[in-house]
Amino acid sequence: MSIMMPAADQAVLNRRGEIVAALRAIVPGEGVIDSAAEMLAYESDGLTAYRQRPMVVVLPDTTEQVARVLKYCHEHGIKVVPRGSGTSLSGGALPLEDGVLLGLGKFKRIREIDFDNRVVVTEPGVTNLAISEAVAHAGFYYAPDPSSQIACSIGGNVAENSGGVHCLKYGMTTNNVLGCEIVLMSGEILRIGGKSAENSGYDLMGIITGSEGLLGVITEITVRILQKPATARALMVGFAQVEAAGECVARIIGAGIIPGGMEMMDKPAIHAAEAFVHAGYPLDVEALLIIELDGPSVEVDELIRRVEAIAQGCGSVTLQISNSEAERNLFWAGRKAAFPAVGRISPDYLCMDGTIPRGALPQALARIREFSEKYQLGVANVFHAGDGNLHPLILYDANKPGEIERAEAFGADILRCCVELGGVLTGEHGVGIEKRDLMPEMFSEIDLNQQQRLKCAFDAQGLLNPGKVFPTLHRCAELGRVHVHGGKLAFPDIPRF
Amino acid sequence: MRAAIAGEQPLEIVGHGSKRAIGHPMATNAVIDVSALNAVTSYEPHELIITVQAGAPLADVQSLIDARNQQFAFEPMDTSVLLGTPAIGTIGGMIGAGLAGPRRIKAGGVRDHLLGAHAVSGFGDGFKSGGKVVKNVTGYDLCKLLTGSWGTLAVMTEVTLKVMPKPEAERTLVLRALDDVTANKAMTAALCSPFDVSGAAHLPGSALRETAGSLASLAASGQSVTLVRIEGIAASAANRAASLSTTLSSYGTVEILEDGASLMVWTALGEVRPFAADGALGTWPVWRIVCPPATGGALGQALARETGGEIFYDWGGGLIWAALPPRPDAQAALLRSRVEAAGGHAMLLRATEEVRRNVNVFQPQPAGLAALGERVRNSFDPKTILNRGRMTRSKAA
Repeated sequence: MSIMMPAADQAVLNRRGEIVAALRAIVPGEGVIDSAAEMLAYESDGLTAYRQRPMVVVLPDTTEQVARVLKYCHEHGIKVVPRGSGTSLSGGALPLEDGVLLGLGKFKRIREIDFDNRVVVTEPGVTNLAISEAVAHAGFYYAPDPSSQIACSIGGNVAENSGGVHCLKYGMTTNNVLGCEIVLMSGEILRIGGKSAENSGYDLMGIITGSEGLLGVITEITVRILQKPATARALMVGFAQVEAAGECVARIIGAGIIPGGMEMMDKPAIHAAEAFVHAGYPLDVEALLIIELDGPSVEVDELIRRVEAIAQGCGSVTLQISNSEAERNLFWAGRKAAFPAVGRISPDYLCMDGTIPRGALPQALARIREFSEKYQLGVANVFHAGDGNLHPLILYDANKPGEIERAEAFGADILRCCVELGGVLTGEHGVGIEKRDLMPEMFSEIDLNQQQRLKCAFDAQGLLNPGKVFPTLHRCAELGRVHVHGGKLAFPDIPRF
Repeated sequence: MRAAIAGEQPLEIVGHGSKRAIGHPMATNAVIDVSALNAVTSYEPHELIITVQAGAPLADVQSLIDARNQQFAFEPMDTSVLLGTPAIGTIGGMIGAGLAGPRRIKAGGVRDHLLGAHAVSGFGDGFKSGGKVVKNVTGYDLCKLLTGSWGTLAVMTEVTLKVMPKPEAERTLVLRALDDVTANKAMTAALCSPFDVSGAAHLPGSALRETAGSLASLAASGQSVTLVRIEGIAASAANRAASLSTTLSSYGTVEILEDGASLMVWTALGEVRPFAADGALGTWPVWRIVCPPATGGALGQALARETGGEIFYDWGGGLIWAALPPRPDAQAALLRSRVEAAGGHAMLLRATEEVRRNVNVFQPQPAGLAALGERVRNSFDPKTILNRGRMTRSKAA
């Protein structure tokens, strides 16, 4: 493991037997796992390059148990790492050697479906897709659709503020969550928001969403559900240059059209996907756009005509329009299988997740090509073109000495480039441990201190998921001081704005 | 800021002062005026973003984006009609207040459109959060906290907001003479339909009676009106309006207002025109109640009956505007007990300074949540320099 985690507390490790017994008293039976063999399944999440066996795994099934576990750990200075389905791509659920891994997998019940108020109240271990399935009979669905939706839990979605292909039009998790029940590290249980459109007081739901398990453990969530669009159709458009595809994306948005999804793939990604799923992708184009329009059929038909005209105006070299659900699904099949398809052409790959302003796409791709030559590693690009979220897949072979280090350096260069172009380090996968040490590329020490002070308001001892998100840990007391003397702040030489 | 922190001098943050009469009277005797921070840093219509300084006039920014056929999709509330102020305020005030209009049910609120911010905290530190792109999960989303914090956390200096294309066409379906509970059901049916409703409001006949302007023609018959808005490309808006009319036909005959007429109605509703400061109810205190939408009709009807007030509904019943006959306590205890029972919360948006001294303007929160909120505030402004006392009633008073 090439990333530093907080040093293990030997005093805590020495008390392991006592801690396991105390947790068994709270969560009886199979809910506490302490054998090395059984804990193997929890050593890693979706970022499999990093592994760590936890001290012990606890799987509570009531809010009360969660509260008692956290209270016990709080009182005894024991670190806790929360985990949903373990599909994080940034290492958000990577265990700690001296930490309790708190799994929410037993919180699997949908508590209430309220069509009149258009909400679902659910436990956090329910999968993203299960929510949509539970309301599908009435024509509703839950809009955010991360590609792992068959497996990822809604609790994890809230922790990571997950996105998906459709968030250009329908928003990310934060735009679709109304309330939660949350247990603080102290064991205190709080309810925030509910079925109303907005909450009173500060927008705590907004800050909890995307906090990567550092502020509290969510035990219930209220999400908004929407009526499914009546129809959806897609266009598949090939371009001889990436620049022309980028221009097409800009003109569609400029024309006031917000597609349900707008995805781009570059040549290596097209070839890998086509070889895998045979979706009929054109192989001699440099960029392929898949543009989906959804809504009433009269609207979709009209928008398809407009987008077709724009694409032709941008010099498209191939253009197909779906005329059936089967055809639309075929267009998507290659895109949706892009990651495993790339997995077939390379022993290993790293998936990056920067976001850039849409207009900077050609520049970003040119830079990525330069990096590819510099590091002598291949790269395939898939891209949520509508919202500027780039997923370069860096190809490497972990069995060849030095390749993983080169791949990581390549990835870091891409993310720095995203920030330089006016973008950000992560669009939807989260910071976790993966991008933790790159945070200073985007934020100053002052920016990060403000974020950490907020963390202190929720978890003053820093026991919940430490080592994630922030490159350096500070004591809360030190962050909370206002250094003022004679009208001047201490350290006037530190740049402050 | 640093001088104020050193001198423990509390500051009131002021832009145009359009919303100074909202919140508790503050324990401040000095202002920090940000109205000179009024530049548009960059506007990129194709990126769907605009970056502006916090003191930029909202009206100017709206004209700028309107010229490119774009808008703030959440319909920022123009509070000037309700409060009787000359200006509609600044971008910073719009975010600090976090008050969104009728389209909130479809497009989200102010919080959903603030992508990034630069601000100065009560530590005297300039910090930033977020960025200039929509899809961003890098670090905590401090923008959410700044929205609706009424200037109690930080002084915003520059912000990046999402802009969206304006709809080509709009239609408003009008149903008449429904009681509040039935109207709530009709709005729920519309919002549960696949026709992508972007506004759903109900005005009892009595709330409309004294209203001038674009709502007056609707009021002519003395009956209540229930309004449902559809927006989009022309062919689609017309098509969906027709389909939805059929869906709602069991609630009565549906009339349809088109484009300009429809726009005027929703503008007036967003401004809370029925309770305008220069209107017949201009001296009554006004509550803004947010509740689970399907409970709104029964709640509003009970409130009107028990308080003797006038009410109307937006957000399909999820937002209730209530003007109550003047009383020293603005009938806060009665109103809040009913609202809380329905799972909602209430804010006293308009009242005299005297009333705002005596009544909790913002919904009091359970102890644990209030304590967390206070710790959060402390993490930005430990000496309570900024807008001291605006969100919490001082114990001394």
